[in-house]
Amino acid sequence: MLARTALRSTRTFASAKNGAFQFAKRSASTQSSGAAAESPLRLNIAAAAATAVAAGSIAWYYHLYGSASAMTPAEEGLHATKYPWVHQQWFKTFDHQALRRGFQVYREVCASCHSLSRVPYRALVGTILTVDEAKALAEENEYDTEPNDQGEIEKRPGKLSDYLPDPYKNDEAARFANNGALPPDLSLIVKARHGGCDYIFSLLTGYPDEPPAGASVGAGLNFNPYFPGTGIAMARVLYDGLVDYEDGTPASTSQMAKDVVEFLNWAAEPEMDDRKRMGMKVLVVTSVLFAMSVWVKRYKWAWLKSRKIVYDPPKESATRH
Amino acid sequence: MGFWDAVTDLIDAATPWATVEAEAPADTPAELAPASESTEETTAETEAEEPAAAADEEEEAEEEEEEEDEDEIVDPKETLEEAFHLYANDSPTPTCYGAQLETEHDVLTGVLLTECRNSKECAPAKHHYDECVARVTGAGADNKEDCVEEFFHLAHCATQCAAPKLWNVLK
Repeated sequence: MLARTALRSTRTFASAKNGAFQFAKRSASTQSSGAAAESPLRLNIAAAAATAVAAGSIAWYYHLYGSASAMTPAEEGLHATKYPWVHQQWFKTFDHQALRRGFQVYREVCASCHSLSRVPYRALVGTILTVDEAKALAEENEYDTEPNDQGEIEKRPGKLSDYLPDPYKNDEAARFANNGALPPDLSLIVKARHGGCDYIFSLLTGYPDEPPAGASVGAGLNFNPYFPGTGIAMARVLYDGLVDYEDGTPASTSQMAKDVVEFLNWAAEPEMDDRKRMGMKVLVVTSVLFAMSVWVKRYKWAWLKSRKIVYDPPKESATRH
Repeated sequence: MGFWDAVTDLIDAATPWATVEAEAPADTPAELAPASESTEETTAETEAEEPAAAADEEEEAEEEEEEEDEDEIVDPKETLEEAFHLYANDSPTPTCYGAQLETEHDVLTGVLLTECRNSKECAPAKHHYDECVARVTGAGADNKEDCVEEFFHLAHCATQCAAPKLWNVLK
């Protein structure tokens, strides 16, 4: 039935196209007499009327809505500055000390509102924490067990295979606790936002002391130039000295932001270090193979390249047969 | 770690069948994870980043020595950008922008302040923003303008200039 409808519609469309085509042909054939019939006055009237309609629609819109501004910079948000992230260079890895600090910032600051639901404890082992640290961290939280004999689901301490716990039971609870705003999950946030690391770093450190003069900030919102619309529900959270780094790094706002952004980048692409190493391997292997192929080609073509074609004419003999 | 330990470590690292283990961070309390104060830290199966970590620690030690007399933490980004914001308010005094950038925060602020004062990059944006603020605050209640766009231009210019310097200061 669907196919038949589709066929029918294409048939009608084809006939319409045919008609238009023929019409175009016919008008083209009678172009000379038709163009002469159009008077310049009528054309001028049409153009003037179209312009009047366009201007009138703008005026009507302005009358209705008060302002005719669109695509203002505030709607777009300030474009994040590009920062020279070391880990984004081709042959550089994550700074795992920074990841460790960033994870500390996430746990102590971000985790009260933002989940990191795609990162299991086992992923932290060897990159950020040691096995024992990760196990101890997992055991701090309780997780559901399999149903027991009575079908009851009990709680057990977490294991390395468990995922980091969410701060809220579900999105509705998160919205309810945050004045209607849903704190996004941070697992893939670096990949999920235009500008990635730069955007998040700018957002975290970009809260001005007070919004610029005349800027309207909605109720319960905060002014942040980097957030599209400039009104963000998240208030500034990073303040100097908020976290005590275990390695003694001075915990300035931008230091914490840098560390947590690098950590979030790791969360979004934990395979980056391996990926770059694999890329290096690919480069090594392909360059070796290419070099071999060049030599092999040289060897195989040697007979052809070094041959000499000589025309050796028969000796001119005096006697003709 | 003795001399022969270092040699055997190097040999172990060179042999392809060896497993690479990071040093157990057991000694210093600074290495303890915040979550697991009670757990023993035996072997860390992290990637072999001992030299890097050692270098980091040395740097930290130096930094700590330098910053011992500093109680407050000053956010370098803010000071950098404030230096730009403050540009128009202060009369420029030419000073050398020396290599003592990462030593102390006060010095950092002062040096960057003068450095940014001397840079004329953000002067137009700052000028426009100030003018807009004066206009908007002067207009009173029947004001319909906002200074968001001017603020954007100024913030863009300031962060643009501060970004590389900030990364020199941050760890």
